[in-house]
Amino acid sequence: MSDGILVAKLDDIPEGEGIALDKSVTGTVDNIALLRDEDGSVWALDDTCTHETASLANGWVEDGHVECPMHASKFCLKNGEVQGLPATKNTCPHRVEVRDGDVWLYPNEAP
Amino acid sequence: MTVNDVVIVGGGVGGISTASALRTGGFLGRITLVDAGEHPYDRPPLSKDYLSGKKGLADIALQPLAWYDAQSIELRSNSTATAILPAAGVVELATGERIKADRVVFATGGEAARLTVPGADLDAVHVLRSADDARRLRQALLPGARILVVGAGLIGAEVASTALRLGAEVTLVDPLASPLSAAIGPVAADWLHSVHAAKGIRTLQTGITGFQQTAGGIETVLGGTLESFDAVVLGVGMKPNTAIAEAAGLQVDRGVVVDAGQTTSNPAVLAVGDPTRRRVNGSVAKRSEHWEAAQLDGARAAATILGSPLPAETVSWFWTDRHGMHVEAIGSLPCATTTVVRGTLGEPPFALFGLKDGQIVGAVAVDDSNVVRAARRMVDRRTPVDPGKLADPTSDLRKLLRG
Repeated sequence: MSDGILVAKLDDIPEGEGIALDKSVTGTVDNIALLRDEDGSVWALDDTCTHETASLANGWVEDGHVECPMHASKFCLKNGEVQGLPATKNTCPHRVEVRDGDVWLYPNEAP
Repeated sequence: MTVNDVVIVGGGVGGISTASALRTGGFLGRITLVDAGEHPYDRPPLSKDYLSGKKGLADIALQPLAWYDAQSIELRSNSTATAILPAAGVVELATGERIKADRVVFATGGEAARLTVPGADLDAVHVLRSADDARRLRQALLPGARILVVGAGLIGAEVASTALRLGAEVTLVDPLASPLSAAIGPVAADWLHSVHAAKGIRTLQTGITGFQQTAGGIETVLGGTLESFDAVVLGVGMKPNTAIAEAAGLQVDRGVVVDAGQTTSNPAVLAVGDPTRRRVNGSVAKRSEHWEAAQLDGARAAATILGSPLPAETVSWFWTDRHGMHVEAIGSLPCATTTVVRGTLGEPPFALFGLKDGQIVGAVAVDDSNVVRAARRMVDRRTPVDPGKLADPTSDLRKLLRG
């Protein structure tokens, strides 16, 4: 269990959108996309789409999924599973906790 | 009748999506996928990263080979179907082998069209449809090579962009002043086309009357002047592969005619992707020839075979990547009576909306895909829109979508 990192205020992430966290901050292999679903819940996935090079933090977040801003492959927010072509590989999920309006990331920990 | 054996003829995105959606939908019978290539691959990279050599064939596989085993899909690579015999319930391969089929899904795609002018079949006159075509063309895209691209639609524009990046000297010709205007309207199409010249491609509005191979290269007349090129690429559209559909007696009219659930005139045969024309609300639509359209066709074909409800209809969507820009469009901008610009035209990110009767009918965005994703949902939900809010780049489109 790693220590959590305070990465954002909940209000910094509009519902249905995301922000990218640099890997120098998160200590992960890839940058991390912090994504807020329309129900308000916050999720974290490796940021680079497994198809080409787009940032999932710039994607469309809706209904438990993020849709890549390039070619619209969908990934499940909870487990990173790819739901549609052209990507064929899953992306990696990370655990997130929201406490008192602060968003804490637990890099490389399963949600 | 219970469907036990499905044979899908063609391993493009339509064929693969059909197979995938059948399994996701719980189909437990046998699925055989007949594909002409080494393995099914994705075609959009053929004009970009595969053409440039940055990606190999394995990198553009539509699914990893392990997927076919995991999904119990029998992949017949390097195989061609020569006939579908619905009455006998079989598909016949070039080898003479017959595969049992309760349902056949026709996903045969098409071939690149060639101009009907003298010299259009010369060796140095290329087309781009298959990985083989792309590998052959790649050999010609050398630094300094004089490349003529004929047709400035999606394939031609993307090939011109890749050729330029590889250092070729590129000329791009089209008989239309504003290629793509039928898809995205003249304002966006004019700007998009102007980017070629801004990046260093010579663009000319002209037709072609023929090609001649000489010692100095391929000669052709452009706007009254005889010019010479090392290679030519034709990006002039697609010829649907419908021969075996016609031989099987299916209704074919410049494409295999299918109903809203992808069933052809024979109830045991379905068709998906580029060679199809859907009859929806009484009229037969044009062939759509876009990546996502083929994917959606596959989902519908699977639903029909499974007897499940068809997925919801959605407005058409396509993308094109060229000159480092990502362009997306939905619907039909030419149908609009009003055009609204969000941002500044020509300064990405920006977008255009086409409106009619207070609703969006089409949209196009450069490097701003979430605007198109929002617009698509507004079209699908018939959301009434305020043009002033759409035009304001600081307005929250998701809020407008929620109403």
